[in-house]
Amino acid sequence: MKMLMKSLACSFGVALASGAAQAEFGETLKTVQDRGVLNCPGHPGSYLGFAEVDDKGNWKGIDIELCRAVATAVLGGPEKTKIVPISWAQRWPSLQSGDIDVVIKASGGTLSRDTELGFQFSNSYYLGTTKIMAHKELELSGVKDADGGTICIPAGASQERQVSSYADRIDISLETVAIENTEELESAYYSGRCDLYAQWGPVLAISRSVSKNPDAHVILPDVLAVEPEVMIVRQGDEQWLDIINWTLSVMLFAEQEGINSKNVDAMRDNPPSVEVGKMLGVTAGMGKPLGLSDDWAYNVIKKVGNYSEIFSRSLGKESPYKMDRGLTALWNQGGVLYPFVID
Amino acid sequence: MTTLISAQYKPTVWMKVQKNYFKNWRSALLSMMCFAVLGGIVWSIVDWGILNATFSSTARHTECYANGGACWSIIANRWRVILFGLYPYDEQWRSITACFIVVATIAFSCFPVFWTVRRLSLIWLVGAASFFVIMKGGVFGLSLVSEEQWGGLALTLFIFVGTVLIGMPLAIMLALLRNSKLPVISKVTGVIIDTVRSLPLISILFTFALVLPFMLPDMLVGEKLYRVIAASALFFAAYQAEIIRGGMQGVPKGQEEAAQALGLGYYQRITRIILPQAFKNALPAMINQFVTTFMETSLVTIVGFFELLASANAAYGTGEWNFAFVEVYFFVAAIYFAFVFALSRYGAFLERRMAN
Repeated sequence: MKMLMKSLACSFGVALASGAAQAEFGETLKTVQDRGVLNCPGHPGSYLGFAEVDDKGNWKGIDIELCRAVATAVLGGPEKTKIVPISWAQRWPSLQSGDIDVVIKASGGTLSRDTELGFQFSNSYYLGTTKIMAHKELELSGVKDADGGTICIPAGASQERQVSSYADRIDISLETVAIENTEELESAYYSGRCDLYAQWGPVLAISRSVSKNPDAHVILPDVLAVEPEVMIVRQGDEQWLDIINWTLSVMLFAEQEGINSKNVDAMRDNPPSVEVGKMLGVTAGMGKPLGLSDDWAYNVIKKVGNYSEIFSRSLGKESPYKMDRGLTALWNQGGVLYPFVID
Repeated sequence: MTTLISAQYKPTVWMKVQKNYFKNWRSALLSMMCFAVLGGIVWSIVDWGILNATFSSTARHTECYANGGACWSIIANRWRVILFGLYPYDEQWRSITACFIVVATIAFSCFPVFWTVRRLSLIWLVGAASFFVIMKGGVFGLSLVSEEQWGGLALTLFIFVGTVLIGMPLAIMLALLRNSKLPVISKVTGVIIDTVRSLPLISILFTFALVLPFMLPDMLVGEKLYRVIAASALFFAAYQAEIIRGGMQGVPKGQEEAAQALGLGYYQRITRIILPQAFKNALPAMINQFVTTFMETSLVTIVGFFELLASANAAYGTGEWNFAFVEVYFFVAAIYFAFVFALSRYGAFLERRMAN
C-alpha cells in the first residue's frame, strides 16, 4: 500500500498535496498493533494547553491526552504513545506518508482537508472560536463600540479575513496591525500599541490569564468565527476512524454518566445501567465490532480519564489557564458536545 | 650603552585616551555621545538582568512582575528542557556527556599536533562513535533512546558536526571538480553548485525530510535526522566549494606550472601546493561559513526537530512561564555566543599562525 502511494505521488510529480492518501480498511489498526506504539504529532516547541512540555521533558496538553486515550484503547496503555514533534506545515505530508497515525493538533475540519487532501475527520473534540480581547479601561461592551480603533492580529492566519469581514458586517472600521510572531504580537497589544487583539479563543484566554494584570483586559462577547477541532485520519480506513470516534464518545459518555478514573472500578462492579455495563466490558460486545478487547473503554477511563478530567488537567481548573468549558461542554451543560448511543 | 630618550618615553593610559578620543572638541563631542549611548544600553541591561532580576527558583510570575526585572527563575526551573529537549529525564547525564565529547573532539582537532590525516580521522572516529553510543544507547546496558527523542544542545551540536564532517570533504571535491580541465565535468559541477545555492535552505530541508521518502525505495529512506544532515551538508558544501575555489584562484598559476615542471603528480600538486594556499587565502570566508552553518542548524525545527531553539520555545511554552520568553532567548543567545565566539577566535588564531 505504501509503495502504491509512493508511486502515485511520484507519477503525479507532486509529491505532497495532491497525492490523495488512501488507506485500506483495517490497515492502520494492524500497523499500530504490530508496531506496539501509536504515533501522534507534537510541536517543535509548544502550543499552550494543547501540547506542551513539562519540567521533565514529558508532553502534556489536551491533544496529547487524546492521543494517549486512543493508544490506551488500541494498545492497552497511555505510555504506548510516541509523540513526533512536527511543524504545522508538516502534519499533512506526515499523515499521508504514515509517519503518524492520526493528526490531533488543534486542527479544524475544512473542505479542502476533507476532499483535496484525502482525509476524514472524527467528531469535534473542541470548539475553537475567534474572539477579541480589549483593554478594560476602554469600557467596551462589544466590538461595535470600537469603531476607529486599532486591532492586533496574527499575520497570515485566518483571523485576518475573519476580522475584516466581521467589521464589514457590523459596519465599523478598524485599523489592523498584523504581526507574525506570537510573542511580538502580544507585546504589541499589552504595551498599548493596539486597542484590540483578535485571536483563536483558547490562545486568547491563555494569553490573558498569564499576562501581567489579567483584570485589566476583557474578552468581548462577539464570536467572529467558529472552528471545530477534530482528529484527522487517512481516508479509506473506516475501522480506524470508528476507533477514534468511539474513544472520544466513550470519554464523553463517561462524563455524562458521572464515571471517572477514580470511581470506574466501583461502577464496573456495580453498573448503574445496561449501557454503562456494556461500555465497561461487564457484558460482552464493546470491543469485537471495533477489533479491540472488550475492556478497552474501561482502560481508557481508568488510565486516562473521562473528557472533563483531561480538559481540567490541560486547560481547566487544574491547569494554569483556568479556562471555562464554554461551548466545549456537554449538551446538558450548555455546550455542543455529546456522546453517541451505546446499544 | 645609552638608550634614546624617545625610547624611554611611555605614554600613560590617560594620555592615550586623550589622544584617541578627545583630540579636539569635535572628537570629544562624538566620543561623549557614543559613551553615553553605550553606557545607557549597558546600564539598562544590568538594571534589568541583575539589579531588578529575580533569581529564586521558587519564584513565579507574581514575584517576577513585582521585582520588575528579568525572571531567571525560569532558567533555574526549565534549563533541562532547554539543554536536553525531549531526552528522557533520567538519562540526561548521557546527553551532557555527549556534548562534552563533541566539544572535546573539536578542541583536540584544533591543536596543530593532531593535524595529520591519520590522527584526525582517529580522533573523529572515536569521538563520533562514542557520541553515538552514549546518545542512542541500546548497548552496554544503556537504554535505547531513538533519534526523535534527541534534543537541545546535543542535537544542535550533532547536526552541526555532521554537516561539517560530510560537507567539508564534499566541498573540496566539488571545488576540484569545478576546476577540472574537462569541460563536461566542470560545467555539470557548476550547474549542481549553482542550483543548490539558488534554493533556500528551508526548501532543501523540507524536500529531504518529507518529499524524499515518497521517492526513494524503503531501504534507502533511513532515519529522518540523517536525511536532514545530508541536506544541510549539501547546502554547506555548495557554498564552501565556491569559497575554496575562490581561494584556489588566488594561488598564482605559475606555482602549479612550476610543480608540474618538477614532475609532481596531480594528487601531490593539489595536496601540497594548491590546497594549503587556497585554505590560507579563503580562511576568513570559510570560518564565516562555519559560523553561519552553526546558526542555521536552528532551521531544522521546521521539519520537527527539537534542537536548541525549539527546546527553548518549549521551555517558555507553558502557562506558568509564558511571560518569560526574553530570559530564555537571552540564555540561548549566550550559548550560541559561546560557541560562535570560540569558533571565530580560533579562526583568528589560524590566520595569525598561517601569516607566519
